[in-house]
Amino acid sequence: MPVFPSVEWFDAIKNIVNQDPEFRALGTVDSVIGVKVGGKIYELIFEAFECTNVREATDNDLRDMDFWLEQPYDKWQDMIENIKRNGKAGLSHTLNTLDLSMPEGLARSHDGYRRDAFYRFNQSIQDFFNASAKIDTQFAAAEAVTA
Amino acid sequence: MADITTIPDHLRAKAQEKGWPDDVVQQALATGASADQIIGYMNQGVTAEQARQFLAAQAGGGPEPSDALKAKAADANWPLDLVKRALAMGAAENDLINFMDMGVTAEQAQQFIEQGGGGGASFQVDLSWMDVPTEWNTRAKPTKHGLTLEAINIGKYGDIPDIWPYQTEMPRGAVPIPGVEGMGYSIFEKQEVWSDACAKLYEEAIQRRWRPATDVPWTSIEPLPDDLERAICQICTHISEKEQLEADVLGRWEPEISYGYHEVKLYLATTIFENARAVEVFRKRALSNGGGLGVQSSGWAFRSIVDARNFTEMVAIQMVLHDSLTLGQYAFGEKFARNPAEKFIFAHCLQDKARHLSYGVSHLKYVLLHRPERREEIQRYLDKGEGMLVQDDKKDPSTRESFAMYFAGGKDKIADGLQVYDAMRKTALGQYLARLKWATLDRSQRLQPGLKAYLGS
Repeated sequence: MPVFPSVEWFDAIKNIVNQDPEFRALGTVDSVIGVKVGGKIYELIFEAFECTNVREATDNDLRDMDFWLEQPYDKWQDMIENIKRNGKAGLSHTLNTLDLSMPEGLARSHDGYRRDAFYRFNQSIQDFFNASAKIDTQFAAAEAVTA
Repeated sequence: MADITTIPDHLRAKAQEKGWPDDVVQQALATGASADQIIGYMNQGVTAEQARQFLAAQAGGGPEPSDALKAKAADANWPLDLVKRALAMGAAENDLINFMDMGVTAEQAQQFIEQGGGGGASFQVDLSWMDVPTEWNTRAKPTKHGLTLEAINIGKYGDIPDIWPYQTEMPRGAVPIPGVEGMGYSIFEKQEVWSDACAKLYEEAIQRRWRPATDVPWTSIEPLPDDLERAICQICTHISEKEQLEADVLGRWEPEISYGYHEVKLYLATTIFENARAVEVFRKRALSNGGGLGVQSSGWAFRSIVDARNFTEMVAIQMVLHDSLTLGQYAFGEKFARNPAEKFIFAHCLQDKARHLSYGVSHLKYVLLHRPERREEIQRYLDKGEGMLVQDDKKDPSTRESFAMYFAGGKDKIADGLQVYDAMRKTALGQYLARLKWATLDRSQRLQPGLKAYLGS
């Protein structure tokens, strides 16, 4: 059972969406996205119709990403559990809704132009996280993530 | 009575031009064909040799039909001399058999032959176009994204000049023909329209299409309280009005752009399509749940777009300033949507609008990198656009109040909703300034005071 957060967890999602014709049908996605969970950072590379790579990254790498998604660990957990319960994000748990619900935003960037990739590819990124409904997620202990 | 074998001067001149010897012309006249008829055959490309064979067939000579063709002709009631004439004119046996099988009568075939048909070369061919000196042996290769506009921009076809020198619709890389009428374009400079992202944005727009009629989960919309339905319907009225205006404005600018920059023209065509799709989907929402349309906008902000006198002015105001605020409306609309249908609508329009912004902002950056002297000019366009926007805000309570009610969930909570509206403006304007900063335009001190007030909230 993949543990969130981990490269293994994101790889499991990557493998699902890369085989999913509905993900492909959303169209091309060209973006380098970060996911920051406590002290852990992951880089997801999307090119054409696929997520092509997942790796663990560092704070320094954030500057080279179009944007990254960051929220407290308990909010990540809440979002993923909501997706699992509903098969996809509920009305109050979409990435955009979460982004506007936080003063500093969920989607952050050092670049005002590149941050718009969050909007341009919003539905594909949402679909990516929605795919987590198809796996069973084990959540890492909060202390391990926030350290 | 004139000697029919005497060749009239005009026929002789044509015969010399087409290479028909006198004896063939005289034979044709002797069969009873008029000079004008013979000239007609010559103009249709009938050669002297073909005419000679035809005349021989009429006299009993020419190609002999096969037994199979003779048998078929007998079944189809085609006289043998008609078959021979057709063969003499270059018709193939298989074609004649096919015509007979299709039910073409002898009379129809006779008429066809007399009108100059019947096989062989019925017109002169030129083929000089095959020798044009364009770059040849071009083999663009598909990429992970398919065979894209960028992938075919190779060799001379990928040379995008700073100035396009042609007035016509000649595609980039083709060979011009002198004398073709000009199309009246007014934009011939790359810096006036270019964005380094436009080819990529075109492909993205094509790949990320969606269909309002069937993709939106329309049946998920349930009856709403009257005030909330009125609020969403007013929002739909506002958005469909302004998206139609944006499509119209871009549609006016498209034919001004010369053909050297087809990447821009193609991308703007997708933008017009996406504006139209937004008009469509919001109008459909307004008319699908027991409500209707609301009041039109006061329109002051729109005038600054309509009145733009050059393309960059239009882009700065429409595709950077206005679209930044519209994107904010879509983002907050998605957040506060009360059903999957509205969620879907706002989320997908959000994607489209972000792409428009990408073009607009990257175009400004291109202009400023290549024509830095235009910096103050662009700032002034934004001064004007922001000013008209603020004036419109004062004249148009419907947009602000309808969004506020939508966010808050009803008229009785509109005060809460107005705070969310202000937060929406704050978010949108913050992103607007960040985009301009990327384009090397610092507008933080110059932002219109009526808009700057939102940033302090």
